[in-house]
Amino acid sequence: MLPPFSYIAVHSKQEALTSLASLAGAALLAGGTDLLVRMKKGETHRYVIDLTGAAELSGVKDRGGTLRIGSGMTHARIGAHPAIAKTCGGLAAACSAVGSPQVRNMGTLGGNLVNASPAADSIAPLLVHNAVVTLESIDGMRSEKLERFITGPYRTTIGKHEILTSVEADTLAGYNEGYRRVAKRAGWAISRLSLAWALNDADGVFKDVRIAVGSCTPVPFRPREAEAFLAGKGRERPVVEEAVKMVLDEIRRISGMRPSFAYKLPVVRDLLLSVLGGDSCS
Amino acid sequence: MKRVGFTLNGKTTTCDVEENELLLHTLRERLSIASVKEGCSIGECGTCTVLIDNEPCYACLTLTAKVEGRDVLTVEYLAHADLLHPLQESFISHGAVQCGFCTPAMLLVGYSLLLKHRQPTDEQIREAMSGNLCRCTGYVQIIEAIKDAAPVFIHSGS
Ligand SMILES: Cc1cc2nc3c(=O)[nH]c(=O)nc-3n(C[C@H](O)[C@H](O)[C@H](O)COP(=O)(O)OP(=O)(O)OC[C@H]3O[C@@H](n4cnc5c(N)ncnc54)[C@H](O)[C@@H]3O)c2cc1C
Ligand code: FES
Ligand code: FES
Repeated sequence: MLPPFSYIAVHSKQEALTSLASLAGAALLAGGTDLLVRMKKGETHRYVIDLTGAAELSGVKDRGGTLRIGSGMTHARIGAHPAIAKTCGGLAAACSAVGSPQVRNMGTLGGNLVNASPAADSIAPLLVHNAVVTLESIDGMRSEKLERFITGPYRTTIGKHEILTSVEADTLAGYNEGYRRVAKRAGWAISRLSLAWALNDADGVFKDVRIAVGSCTPVPFRPREAEAFLAGKGRERPVVEEAVKMVLDEIRRISGMRPSFAYKLPVVRDLLLSVLGGDSCS
Repeated sequence: MKRVGFTLNGKTTTCDVEENELLLHTLRERLSIASVKEGCSIGECGTCTVLIDNEPCYACLTLTAKVEGRDVLTVEYLAHADLLHPLQESFISHGAVQCGFCTPAMLLVGYSLLLKHRQPTDEQIREAMSGNLCRCTGYVQIIEAIKDAAPVFIHSGS
């Protein structure tokens, strides 16, 4: 059973923005896979504004150099979208790994980012693509880098009257990219971790290396020092090992030592070694 | 209360529901569709699965108001009069039904898969079933049942 509320279905983005600004105590509903679970546990809202009818929040646009992805896109639609698979493959892989087919048919990108769980699968690949989120309210529009938007576990800079309308991600042609996660069944509250990457290398030399680690730190993060260290270096075992050590040190620096690290850090190390090392180091 | 209109198993349906009502409860308590089961209630077991526009969704996390204008299918859609759907026959002949609690939902995810892939691989079948728990069969019989139904699969209702 859910606590009582008034349900409002909107038919456009504008209507959603107006309702959100005029109704005190309103929550936005997309797929409901986070919100309704929280409400079943007792969270209450006077109004629930269902965004499903706002068609502007759906769809994908190629803007030359970036892809703009509507916040209302479900994980299933992102995972099956040809343009996303081609130039934002890590995100397609991550969304295809979310929960179960039913959760992917219901859950959206916007809900995943605004909920901002440290384990949210879309965050790490979007960090790799330098994603920027667009937030709109009746007073206007603002853009913010995803890494600034998420400020902590389940915390973002979203304002009370704002809707996350779209996400813009760099298209990365010519990169080898991907996403791996180590997870128990979605429902089990057991720690897990994830890794997104995009590598550009030629003739055994790293040109650009982008890595994001999820679920180890309060917010998924890019180990910038290790990325910078690798740029221009040869793809050789000692180089890769040094970079992996830098990543692990950074995780420990951000999170301190945690009991789960006894199992997590060796997994991060092995994943990174195989992703960065490629064939040259095996 | 709110009036919601949708297609249920091919028939236009109108129903007055509470604004905070879940599709699971509307189906079971107002429309007497008891095949949709309430297991965990939080998106983890899959027994409440229905097809919305042919895609499996959890009815325990879907507001009834949200299915306005949509097409909802439950397992009742599959059989015609006394005639079971070939997918149902296949479940029976493979022993894929034991206690039966997971079965309506398993049939629906199998049906949805076969609509999209007429010859699904084992991998696709496992993936399609991955949001549904079965505590009895050990899954193998269900996978075999779906695979063997593929050649005789017919689109129910057409
Ligand atoms: C069984 C189960 C398994 C799961 N497994 C995974 C998993 O493996 N990986 C993973 O990352 N997540 C998982 N989740 C969590 C969830 O499915 C995802 O976070 C999903 O993307 C949430 O999207 P939604 O559309 O359902 O959000 P909702 O529940 O509708 O909304 C979530 C929050 O975001 C707000 N919101 C939604 N859209 C907007 C918007 N456009 N603008 C502003 N605010 C908005 C809502 O008000 C709410 O606070 C799982 C959930 C369940 C129930
Ligand atoms: S009752 Fe809906 S998934 Fe368990
Ligand atoms: S047959 Fe009993 S749960 Fe599947």
